[in-house]
Amino acid sequence: MEEIVTQLKNAVINYEMETIADLAKKAVDQGVDPLVAIDKGLAEGIKTVGERFGKGEIFLPELVMGAEAMKAALAVLEPAVPAGQHRETAGKVLIGTVQDDIHEIGKNLVSTMLASNGFEVVDLGVNVPAQDFLKKAGEVKANIVAMSALMTTTMPRMAEVIAPLKKDNPSVKTIIGGAPVTDVYAKEIGSEGYSGDASGAVDVAKKLLG
Amino acid sequence: MSYGIVRGTRFQILSKDDLDRIHWGTLHILEKVGVQVDSPTCRKLLKENGCEVDEEARSAKIPSHLVMEALSKKKSTITLAARDPKYDARLDLNHSYMCANGNGAVAVDFETGERRNSTKQDLVDSTKICDALPNVHVHWPMVSSTDVPASVVHLHDLEASLNNTGKHVMYETGVTLEDAKNLTAMGYAAAGGEKEYRRRPITSCLQCTYAPLQHDAGVMDASLEFAKNGVPLVFFTMPQPGATGPASLVGSMVVGNAEVLSALVMTQLASPGASVIYGLGIAPLDMKTTVRAGGSPEHAICSAMGTEMAHYYGMPSCVGVSGTAKEPGIQAAMDTYTGCVGPLLAGADLMCGIGLLEDSSCLHLEQVVIDNEIVGAIARLIRGEWADDDTLALDVIEKVGIGKNYLAQKHTMKYLRTDHFMPTLVDRRSEDAWSTTGKKTMRDSAREKVKEILATHKVPGLPDGANRDLAAIIEKAKKPLWGGESKVH
Repeated sequence: MEEIVTQLKNAVINYEMETIADLAKKAVDQGVDPLVAIDKGLAEGIKTVGERFGKGEIFLPELVMGAEAMKAALAVLEPAVPAGQHRETAGKVLIGTVQDDIHEIGKNLVSTMLASNGFEVVDLGVNVPAQDFLKKAGEVKANIVAMSALMTTTMPRMAEVIAPLKKDNPSVKTIIGGAPVTDVYAKEIGSEGYSGDASGAVDVAKKLLG
Repeated sequence: MSYGIVRGTRFQILSKDDLDRIHWGTLHILEKVGVQVDSPTCRKLLKENGCEVDEEARSAKIPSHLVMEALSKKKSTITLAARDPKYDARLDLNHSYMCANGNGAVAVDFETGERRNSTKQDLVDSTKICDALPNVHVHWPMVSSTDVPASVVHLHDLEASLNNTGKHVMYETGVTLEDAKNLTAMGYAAAGGEKEYRRRPITSCLQCTYAPLQHDAGVMDASLEFAKNGVPLVFFTMPQPGATGPASLVGSMVVGNAEVLSALVMTQLASPGASVIYGLGIAPLDMKTTVRAGGSPEHAICSAMGTEMAHYYGMPSCVGVSGTAKEPGIQAAMDTYTGCVGPLLAGADLMCGIGLLEDSSCLHLEQVVIDNEIVGAIARLIRGEWADDDTLALDVIEKVGIGKNYLAQKHTMKYLRTDHFMPTLVDRRSEDAWSTTGKKTMRDSAREKVKEILATHKVPGLPDGANRDLAAIIEKAKKPLWGGESKVH
């Protein structure tokens, strides 16, 4: 039993995107506690991958492949978690690119970085209207709402989310980012968090919840 | 002397076979994979003309014959007319022109050094500087006026640009149909009416496609409106090799080419003969920092290949250069030089652009002046050399004879003006002379130049009547956006 958990960990470390789902199924069939498989297997694996990336030992595609492997296994293991039990995470982040903006890559990188650092990420995709951010933030009980905008014309959409969000739930933190977004702008629209790149977003998220 | 950079020396990256293969590969992708077209108007247009359109996926597969038809309707020479006609930039596949970079949202305050949101005054200052610099030929609004209401930022940017330079103004991205109408109207007003504008378009618009293989609805609707109104367009593709395009540069060229050609198809179907420039700025995603590697050698090579691709189709190119340096200095100079020299050697028609740091985000006025100097040096590098009676100078060599010098020859004075680059910032004095005048760095000299330009350079603004029209267009377009939040910040 312990062996298959280690195998799951190694499958993430070795980016076994295609075969890890079968391994996860095998774990469930063998009666391994899905939460143990996630915490001691997948989470440990992605932590190692994230650390290697942080040290500059591996490159972004390797980190993304590690995250993809984890995602494939989670798709099998999460539904097997008994009702009422939850996995331990560093926090829950709701993320998306704001309305009228279809830029995806920066937002996806932040998602990957957060996931590889133990956060649970709910990704709403691109062109997300304010009301969707607000509705989902309540639904999934997000600790952080993260928004991306790549155009000066769509930046104000972030302010449109932050004001009502804070009114509904003052404890929710926000992080904003994207090419034209600055720390100065973040302060002006009342966002606690800002990051100029994807790696920085993880530190910001940790600080906000720490 | 003609305006712009005269090109003599060329280097070639892709062979004719390579270009053929990229072209055929692109046609294959357009037919087999297609592109996402978010605009229902454009999907309808494509469907009516024989494309296989999937309404649910919002995608269109484009048959090769439509691409070839669109290419047969394109223009090969496009003149970006200027308010002051001596600055007309004729993109004729034989001259190169430089733009300053554009649409940054941050500026480092020239007086206080504070890094802050950019303002309309920053745009006015940088526009004046670009007007004064000899190696910035076409104007891009360098930063956004983030201190005006969000709904009219682009319009204020255009107003400030038109009033502070006599050079052609290319604005980047009109992202809604309404934007397109207002920006067109402002161009007409500044030119003295639609008829005069159509004869001499003093503005143009650069539109970005979205990698991989996507066209935003607002951008394409606006593009068709611009084309109808006689506003020249650039379709600018920016896949990032390894992220939003294949890691092989040529693979990303295919993705980019498919985006530009599909945009060209839609534009030429709607407005046959519309002026469209082939735009491309492909820089990899840096796989360690997750930042776009602007100013990298790959960026330069892609801009060079983009130019070769454009010229293969007989279209003028507009290709990118940028830098990731955080302050004026050694890295910034390296980024600009690396990013510019390759594409200019390959014959880039229009290069955008110099002067912004942090990958096209942050304005430092000194950097604009420094980059102007770098472009001047490159212009000399690529001008080309030739041997004729006058350059061979056999008569002069004979006259001077053995062991004398050429200082007092008329031939020397003549060729000094044409063959020798005369720097304005590069300091070639002796160490002794340099240290007795305060050991000024290039950045110090650039600051002095900025101060001098801002204090002395005068640009005649638009006539009062035109300015009243512009103000009226802006006032009418101003509206509270999204629940009263009416400013960018």
